[in-house]
Amino acid sequence: MESTGHDQNINAPGPGQPLLANIPVLLPDKGIGLSISRLSAFVKALLSAQNSDELFSTICSEAVEAFRAEGSALYIVKNSLLEKQCSSGAIDSFISWDISNSAGRALAENRPVAFSLPRDSDAAGLPHSAASVPIYLNSSASGALTLFDKYSEDSFPAAFSDEDLFMLNEYGKAASAAIERFFKASSSEPASERAEILKGYLDSFLENTADAIVTTDLDGYVTAWNKGAETVYGYEQSEIIGQRMPFVPEFLMDSEKTFMERVSAGETLKEIETIRKRKDGSMIDVSLTLSPIRNSAGHVIGISGIARDITQKKKTEKNLLRRNSELSRILFISAAMRGTLELNKLLRMVLTAVTMGDGLGFNRAMLFLRDEKTNTLRGAMGVGPASHEEAWEIWARLSLEHKSLTSILEEMDKSPLRKDSFVDMLCRGIEIPLDSDTILTRTVKTKKAFNVVDVQKETLSDIELIQQLGTTAYASVPLISRDRVIGVLWVDNLFTHRSITEQDIEFLRIFSNQMASAIENAQLFESINSTEQQLSNIFESISDLLFFTGTDYTINKVNKAVVEKIGLPEQEIVGKKCYQIFHGMEEPLMSCPHIKTLDNRKAYIEEVEDFHLKGTYMVSCSPLFDNSGALLGTVHISRDITEQKKLREKVASAERMAALGEIAAKVAHEIRNPLLSVGGFARRLEKKLDNDLKEYAKIIVDEVSRLEEILTDTLGFVRTGRLDLKETDLGAFLDKIITLLESGAMTRDNRLVKEMPENIVIRIDQNRLKEALINIINNAIQATKSGTITIKAHHENRPSGAQEVVIEVQDCGCGIKEETLNRIFDPFFTTKSSGTGLGLSITKKIIEAHNGRIEVKSEVDKGTTFRIYLPVQEA
Amino acid sequence: MKKILVVDDEKNILKLYETELQEAGYSVVTANSGKEALDAFDAQSPDLVTLDILMPDIDGIQILRMLKEKKPQVPVIMLTAYDYRDDFSVWGSDAYVVKSSDLTTLKETIKTILETR
Repeated sequence: MESTGHDQNINAPGPGQPLLANIPVLLPDKGIGLSISRLSAFVKALLSAQNSDELFSTICSEAVEAFRAEGSALYIVKNSLLEKQCSSGAIDSFISWDISNSAGRALAENRPVAFSLPRDSDAAGLPHSAASVPIYLNSSASGALTLFDKYSEDSFPAAFSDEDLFMLNEYGKAASAAIERFFKASSSEPASERAEILKGYLDSFLENTADAIVTTDLDGYVTAWNKGAETVYGYEQSEIIGQRMPFVPEFLMDSEKTFMERVSAGETLKEIETIRKRKDGSMIDVSLTLSPIRNSAGHVIGISGIARDITQKKKTEKNLLRRNSELSRILFISAAMRGTLELNKLLRMVLTAVTMGDGLGFNRAMLFLRDEKTNTLRGAMGVGPASHEEAWEIWARLSLEHKSLTSILEEMDKSPLRKDSFVDMLCRGIEIPLDSDTILTRTVKTKKAFNVVDVQKETLSDIELIQQLGTTAYASVPLISRDRVIGVLWVDNLFTHRSITEQDIEFLRIFSNQMASAIENAQLFESINSTEQQLSNIFESISDLLFFTGTDYTINKVNKAVVEKIGLPEQEIVGKKCYQIFHGMEEPLMSCPHIKTLDNRKAYIEEVEDFHLKGTYMVSCSPLFDNSGALLGTVHISRDITEQKKLREKVASAERMAALGEIAAKVAHEIRNPLLSVGGFARRLEKKLDNDLKEYAKIIVDEVSRLEEILTDTLGFVRTGRLDLKETDLGAFLDKIITLLESGAMTRDNRLVKEMPENIVIRIDQNRLKEALINIINNAIQATKSGTITIKAHHENRPSGAQEVVIEVQDCGCGIKEETLNRIFDPFFTTKSSGTGLGLSITKKIIEAHNGRIEVKSEVDKGTTFRIYLPVQEA
Repeated sequence: MKKILVVDDEKNILKLYETELQEAGYSVVTANSGKEALDAFDAQSPDLVTLDILMPDIDGIQILRMLKEKKPQVPVIMLTAYDYRDDFSVWGSDAYVVKSSDLTTLKETIKTILETR
């Protein structure tokens, strides 16, 4: 037979097994006392039925009421088919389904069955739940009783429970007896006998139930005592009948009297949880239902009490409650733990939870974390009182304040179990190598919890803990996160001496699992945090200009170097457009690689000459994407390469010069010698000739002189060689130069003036330095018209303390423009129509050969000052 | 009359020097190569030698050294086309003059040296 719904009857016994074998003797829930009184009422109702129709109708309606069902149906087998005898609140489609499913099955399998159907079964014209039991006639299954659509107390569709099934089976048996007797009676037996038989059934039920059923008169004297009562209370029926409730403990007698008064007044007291005293004096928890016993006139003449021993249930319940509250604490703590990523705070939270009375209630707790680098277990944090006195003080305070774990965790910083306590400091000093074999290291290696009941008897006890913490018994559980032991939680009860139970360990285990993942998260977070900090430090300390720019050119983040370079506070840079800040422009700089990076989403590196920031920058620009791959902007790294660029150019120029030098040396003779002949003989001609011819010869002489001069400059620039250093009186030396140049100066109406406040003697190569000074002074003469050129010299001290001589040539001429100023020392650079452009670069070379340096300052139309610094060698 | 030995590999230059120095009142002997210079130095016993630093057969510095070995008292003026500004005195030269079509410097140097001897 196929079931259209879910077969709920998981506990169904196989064929041939006793009917009730799988119905638990101790019913899982309340209501047994109530059920028994209902069953009794049911039997009474059946007894009062006058004919079979009335009997069937009573069975159906009483059952519906007793089980809070919507409908019922009763079937008897006739001609090998189930035939409906009666139904209540059930529609035809239920009946046809029932016959082929629930009722049919109960009959065929000779056992109670229950069904729970899918939610939309209503629409299909089916019940949402059904329960059927067989009906027995002449000891063989000959029919079925079915209940449809159970409702819970709050009117929601429900399934029939095992208890329902058990009780329904009892109803079925009672109904069977009633029907059977009725059929027999209709043939031979008198009605009174039927009643006797039914009563007999009821009596046997009462005798056989495990519950204690006791009746008393209104004064409490026992009038009936079943077998269940004998078992539960320990009194024999014979010794208790007529006694006044010796099973009620003295201290409950008053409340018992109140109950009896209420029942005497007609009330039924259902399922009172109270205590009864057994004959042996032990107390038991019972669930008690007290109902009035009425005579035929309806007067209350006695009290029936049905009691069930719920001691075991109570115990289980207490355990459940404790477990529940502990679980909820763990849930609470783990919720709190998940809420914090700060490692230290988390550890303190964990240890507080382990040690608080409202938490797991250990006296002391410590966390050891595994250090992979040193392969040790290190004490990370400890919580707990340092001494008995402190322990009492803390507990007294806490009990006075009635603080909950919640509030303690919230105010943890102020808590007496704060960090830096004595125990905490002790803990931090402990370090246990993982290659040693102790309880703690075993906890790590085996991933198991250990409970050391007596450290003296355990050979693997951790010596450090005994010595430093004075522990006598302790437990350790591994902190396992993602299958890896990250540390160990250690607890003891030094002050209360409460032994650590297996259940405690079990809780620590559950707790430590929660803890481990939270700790690992916090550790990860901490390392991410420190990495972030490091990155930020690196970001700030990079000397290159580093900044993020959005796709709209807005600057999002800058480092310190940018702030220093721009000279504005960070908040005035961030949010501005990059071209405003970096280039002083109102629109993007086309040569900036940012634009290309935005267009092509690739990194670009370019050298950018920035007139706003005055310098040459190597700008690297990389695209920045978010997780989805969308372009956020660019990362700029700009390095000021102005100096490098200058250096690079210098090197290039030196290489050029060296190459030039080789050529120059080779051609020197080839040009100079013929020039010498040409010029020399032209001079002779000039002397011998007259008039026009003399003038022509003079032209040749002059031109040759000019060529020779160019040759001298050119070759002078590239020549190498040692300096001929001689002690020189600088004053006399300058005088000679001035004499040499004076006539030239006069042609431009200039005056040469020497200012020397002191005598200076310096080691120089006179010829070369003369050449250098002549170059500078000649330039000054050229730049000045009708002015004074002052040549000064004095000693100066460098910041390092070394002394140097400064020779200064100052004119008041036309000055040098800023853009040419930094090029005047470049070879072949000239602003004059004549000349080689080598003069000042030769000068610079000569000064540098003396280990000196040359500087120039100039203002257009005001004049130029050259300063030559020469080191004074120690004598 | 003082006798000057002028050594140069260029005949035109020898001709110029010879003419100019004779006009300045010296007796001039010329040599067109290193070998000629050494022969003339021995044969003519000049009072002063002007020596081009780059000679095709024997390096001017080598000639200078040989001359100084023979007669260290005879002054030698080195003539250079290329202004080395190196101190030729280490080789025993008494002065050096950069070659120029303007012979004033050379003449002054010769005069100074001969007068101080």
